[in-house]
Amino acid sequence: MKKTLAIVFLLFLFAVQFMDSYGIQRFPKPEFESGYVQPETLLPNPRAEMLAILDIAVLIISLSVVSWLVIKKRNRNGVFWMSVFALAYFGFYREGCVCSIGSIQNVTLALFDNSYLISISAIIFFVAPLVYTAFFGRTFCAAVCPFGAIQDLVAWSPQKIGSRLNAVLGVIPYIYLGLAVLYAATGTDFIICRYDPFVGIWRFNASFGMFVFGGILLIVGIFIARPYCRFLCPYGVLLNWVSRFSRKHITITPAECIQCRLCENSCPYDAIDMPVTTKNPEDKGTMARKLIFITFLIPILMLLGGWIGSKLHEPLAGVNVKVRLAKQILNPGTPKNQPETFEIEAFKSAGKQQSQAFAEASAVLHKFYIGSWILGGFIGLVFGGLIAGRLMTKHRTDYTPNKGTCLSCVRCVDYCPVKLPK
Amino acid sequence: MKQKIIISSALVLLLVLVAFMVKDFFFSKPDNTNPYRFELDNIREGDTTKAVYSETLQIKTTLEEIHGLTTDSLGRIYVSGKDGIEIFNSSGKVETKFKIDSTAQCIAISQNGKIFIGVKDHIEIWDKSGNRLSRWASLGADAVITSIAVKGEDIFIADAGQKVVYHCHVKGYLFNKIGLKDPATGVPGFIIPSPYFDLGISKDGNLWVVNPGRHSFEKYKSDGTLLTSWVKASNAMEGFCGCCNPSNFAFLNDSLFVTSEKGIERVKIYNTDGTFLAVVATPDQFEEGTTGLDLAVDNQNRILVLDPAKKLVRIFEPK
Repeated sequence: MKKTLAIVFLLFLFAVQFMDSYGIQRFPKPEFESGYVQPETLLPNPRAEMLAILDIAVLIISLSVVSWLVIKKRNRNGVFWMSVFALAYFGFYREGCVCSIGSIQNVTLALFDNSYLISISAIIFFVAPLVYTAFFGRTFCAAVCPFGAIQDLVAWSPQKIGSRLNAVLGVIPYIYLGLAVLYAATGTDFIICRYDPFVGIWRFNASFGMFVFGGILLIVGIFIARPYCRFLCPYGVLLNWVSRFSRKHITITPAECIQCRLCENSCPYDAIDMPVTTKNPEDKGTMARKLIFITFLIPILMLLGGWIGSKLHEPLAGVNVKVRLAKQILNPGTPKNQPETFEIEAFKSAGKQQSQAFAEASAVLHKFYIGSWILGGFIGLVFGGLIAGRLMTKHRTDYTPNKGTCLSCVRCVDYCPVKLPK
Repeated sequence: MKQKIIISSALVLLLVLVAFMVKDFFFSKPDNTNPYRFELDNIREGDTTKAVYSETLQIKTTLEEIHGLTTDSLGRIYVSGKDGIEIFNSSGKVETKFKIDSTAQCIAISQNGKIFIGVKDHIEIWDKSGNRLSRWASLGADAVITSIAVKGEDIFIADAGQKVVYHCHVKGYLFNKIGLKDPATGVPGFIIPSPYFDLGISKDGNLWVVNPGRHSFEKYKSDGTLLTSWVKASNAMEGFCGCCNPSNFAFLNDSLFVTSEKGIERVKIYNTDGTFLAVVATPDQFEEGTTGLDLAVDNQNRILVLDPAKKLVRIFEPK
């Protein structure tokens, strides 16, 4: 009996399908009889495998050459010409994609979404600069990254902005990195690519807004050298961390520093640490109190940041398409006579149930809740680190490049009168 | 001092950029417009000032749906639609209304006052008292009858579904088919992407048929010989655009063409050679999306426009 009912039910379903087909075929589709031939849909071909390998090879060779120029040859001219090459190849020829900065998002999405297939190029563009940085400092920033290259070329009149301002503005890339990871991990957006200031310039197709964005950044870059690298670049955060532990980092002097102070103002990026020769070094008790304070402060800041972040998870998730759609379904917010938004129209025409949209949005919101806790905690940690850095004074006798923020551009080297015999 | 100003300005600019990113990402409203929508607004706007006719009368119909419009030699107005036919006098007063058991997509009146209606795939003949005189056989499973014209003993039936014009005797038997594609005789064939396919008889007694996919009018002898044609394909007001326009037409008494379109709801007048002459009604006078603006011209040379969206017969006269 059940079997018969099932067959009848299936036959009924088939009959309904045929009724639909009849309805569709009742009137013929539009057609062209005037000799016009419908063109086949063309999809852009993926970049040829050989060219992708070429990109990787060029990246590795460039990193090697620049590292050699920086560490071994200490040659500013060579670094300059390599940055011109990077601008031409990775910028204008490769049109800025895939780039190491944006690859953060590809890697993040690949880690959180099993269905996302990441290309080998993206992985290598993400990993290779980090590996080279671990050995030689930020030689990638020096002359391989096209972002750095274009800004380096316009840094005509760099001004010092002071260590405090540097430190405060230096927090922005951490927040940007946190947001970029959050939005990539939740499959919401690739915000680094969305706000790539130079990609429109590489491709000669920038929208007016993004052209102005990139243009202003370059104008600012005349006076505040490499503003994107120092105060926005999220990949720079990772390089900064890795570079602190680099095995062979560039030094200003090839031998012993003679304290001539000639290099003091040579760095356009404020990345030279001055000697700290405190006459009255802090006693152990003060140091211990500071350490205890920092030990308690950082977790508190992280918790506070996480809590604030969790409170903001809904606004943060508001840009996700699934969340936005669910909101629009719940509250269309348009006058009666206005047509439905395109998104709702598309949703309805797909034949989906409202409950499905809400369930999808709810899942995204949950991800954002957890992600916002982590993001807030991370920002709390960054602020804690910033305060700790200001509190703890490090004794230094020589002028040294800050291994984290130094971009290995080799400018300072030319100011040093100490030369090794050839 | 100068250095401080430079640094401050540069820093402000930098912060403005960051603010721009935050504002753009978190606070800008998403663009909800349909990116695939075919924008006709510019074309629609261009029409409004050029109408040389004005609307002088509106006749409210009571049928649930209205599809067909015609007039007779005495100026009576016939409207066909779902389950009924309404007949008005020239001043818009209802003379007769009677029920039919189907939807009459199109209507025509013979010289002896018989009412011919096209019902999906067949023709029915009625008298003014509401009696059905005959019902023809189906023209085929794919037939979609969209227009009828009667001239003496001849009747021409536009079948949009099968893309052909049937030339029949008023008693129902077929003389010939007109408009089938035939490169040998130069008949291009009708391109009909949607069920809008109109025809009419001009003053000289020849058949004119719209070829909507080509945006053209074709003139045929009753034996199917193609005599002439004119084409006006253009996005400008002087032409027709879209997949299938004009959707309807009628003849003014001096044989000028009155045309109506869908997509851009407008009514225009063309010379017999296709020269654009004037605008009768502009898109702002119709609800957007109105289709099936059937046309007729009465014995006073007034232009009658069927407005299915508002269920009106709208009468236009020169200003």
